[in-house]
Amino acid sequence: MAGVLVWAETQRGEPKKIAYEVAGAGITLAKRLGVPAAAVIINGGNAADELKKLGFSTIYDVQGGPFESYSSEGYAEALAFAGESFGATVFLTGATALGRDLAARLAARLDAALATDVTEILYETQPLRAIRPVYSGKLLAEVELLGEQKVISLRPNVFSAAEEGEEEAEIVSISPPDPDIRARVQQALQAAEGVLDVTEADIIVSGGRGVGGPEGFKIIENLAKTMGAAVGASRVAVDEGWIPYQHQVGQTGKVISPVLYIACGISGAIQHFAGMGSSKFIIAINKDPDAPIMRKADFAIVGDLFKVLPILREELSRVLQN
Amino acid sequence: MNVAVVMKQVPDTEAAVRVDSANPASIVEDDVKFVLNPYDEYAVEEALTIAENSGGEVIGVCIGPPRSETTIRSVLAMGVARAVLITDPMAVEADVITQGKIFAAVMREMDLSLVLCGREVIDTQEDALAPAIAEALNYPHVLNAGKITVEGDRVTVIRDVEGGSLEIEAPLPAVISCQKGLNDPRYPTLIAIRRAKRKELKTVTLADLGIDLKTPNSRIVALHTPPPRAAGVIAEGEPEDVAAQCMKWLAEEAKLV
Ligand SMILES: Cc1cc2nc3c(=O)[nH]c(=O)nc-3n(C[C@H](O)[C@H](O)[C@H](O)COP(=O)(O)OP(=O)(O)OC[C@H]3O[C@@H](n4cnc5c(N)ncnc54)[C@H](O)[C@@H]3O)c2cc1C
Ligand SMILES: Nc1ncnc2c1ncn2[C@@H]1O[C@H](COP(=O)(O)O)[C@@H](O)[C@H]1O
Repeated sequence: MAGVLVWAETQRGEPKKIAYEVAGAGITLAKRLGVPAAAVIINGGNAADELKKLGFSTIYDVQGGPFESYSSEGYAEALAFAGESFGATVFLTGATALGRDLAARLAARLDAALATDVTEILYETQPLRAIRPVYSGKLLAEVELLGEQKVISLRPNVFSAAEEGEEEAEIVSISPPDPDIRARVQQALQAAEGVLDVTEADIIVSGGRGVGGPEGFKIIENLAKTMGAAVGASRVAVDEGWIPYQHQVGQTGKVISPVLYIACGISGAIQHFAGMGSSKFIIAINKDPDAPIMRKADFAIVGDLFKVLPILREELSRVLQN
Repeated sequence: MNVAVVMKQVPDTEAAVRVDSANPASIVEDDVKFVLNPYDEYAVEEALTIAENSGGEVIGVCIGPPRSETTIRSVLAMGVARAVLITDPMAVEADVITQGKIFAAVMREMDLSLVLCGREVIDTQEDALAPAIAEALNYPHVLNAGKITVEGDRVTVIRDVEGGSLEIEAPLPAVISCQKGLNDPRYPTLIAIRRAKRKELKTVTLADLGIDLKTPNSRIVALHTPPPRAAGVIAEGEPEDVAAQCMKWLAEEAKLV
């Protein structure tokens, strides 16, 4: 028997957006391989109900004591356990903070082939191949997964979400044997209310040195609020202390694939591009028509961000209100 | 408390990497400048601070081709006591899970409380070595540490996750990967650079470690150059005009509003 097993990541009992994306890829892969797809939900409240019509044959629901908070060791054990009952040959997670952590521990535990932060699965290849960005996105590696078992983590915002159908999955409660958990979460600290994470947002408005200071970031935040976007930043803006590190996009910050990236007062250094080069659309606003970002943007505005952004925001809020 | 720090030599972030036409799974190394993986600087700094505070030694470990030696010397100059280098091409080419086992084989002989590494290598960006080493040694692991506090035989780590952070506690020994913001890496002094030349840098082979590598679980079959982004629209003029053009583009081309 063989099958594709998906970790459907949840937060406070709700499936995260990435859960639908991983489901989409997993179900597509299973169809091509002619095998069933199943999902594992760990400490996910009633999330199984929300995902049962996506096309999985089975949803394994893991609840209780050792799984009440995330742990690499406990979750890897739960996935390995579900994988064994299901006969999983391919395991999929999102390449989120926890998904990356889990995929690696699981692959090591199973001595499986691992491909992380994958942006494309070459569904027809045998053995299976996947594409992942390397060298800060300057190149793409085609990786062949030779092991009998394979673990793949998928970059968020890249794969199409699974859609609901008619068939309902069978929901099975399982209790993995008590795992040996040593690294334990003591406390979860939330970012400030209403602050969207750059890795999860569809739109990002980002500021760099051109924003001039923490005051200047207000104008970036205002536009972001109007658009329901997250706020990003270049390393210069972070190193100057204008905005916390969690907002940094790039080589030493976060790697993101939003639908729209709006770079304001950012020159587009290679290390910044490493983080946002796979955005679907890029808008750049820069005084300097020769800044590197201007050659990479789909829409490049030559101008002063302090003059252009307020007008743009007004126009947008007018359009978005209708 | 002895700390092992794994570090890798990678192309400088500015390097224009090109695929080697003779071997499409590799890059042309000719005019590439190699440096210490940026995240590993934080791991080295943290290892040195922890060893200084607790009395212990920091040992560097690297799997890489012989050119890695220059980078290892720079880390010895920062204060790492000695280093081990594995240069077997089979090990250098191995997948990350297998490399985890090789590192574990080296480290098993050391009396370690902590293994530190960088968040990820900026060349192959696996982001998986720490769990691979941890699993092979049967240690716990924590990734992306923004803060590490060692107290007795336990360690507390703050790591970032989407929309916040987690405080994670683990017993020692443990494997931790280090994130930017953890500390400010020190610069070696000239005297330290000179002294580093005499520090022990031992090359060990897979045979020494008793490891016989089978076929890898995964391998890069080819590197591709991503298609360049198509040239876009350039809008110049009065702020009102460019904003209007941008709105039109958002509606008609990007179809986002
Ligand atoms: C190892 C390493 C890792 C790095 N990692 C990262 C990373 O993760 N992320 C990152 O971003 N960088 C990173 N960098 C730094 C990177 O090389 C650049 O220095 C940085 O991205 C530049 O930031 P910037 O674009 O904000 O500033 P600048 O390059 O100074 O650009 C500012 C731009 O703003 C424009 N401008 C100024 N005023 C205005 C105005 N009023 N209106 C419109 N435009 C204006 C200017 O024309 C200019 O183009 C890294 C560097 C190294 C060596
Ligand atoms: N070949 C290697 N030699 C030494 N350290 C390595 C090697 N590969 C990875 N590392 C370390 O592991 C960290 C994470 O790398 P990775 O998981 O491969 O992205 C890096 O920051 C390095 O500290």
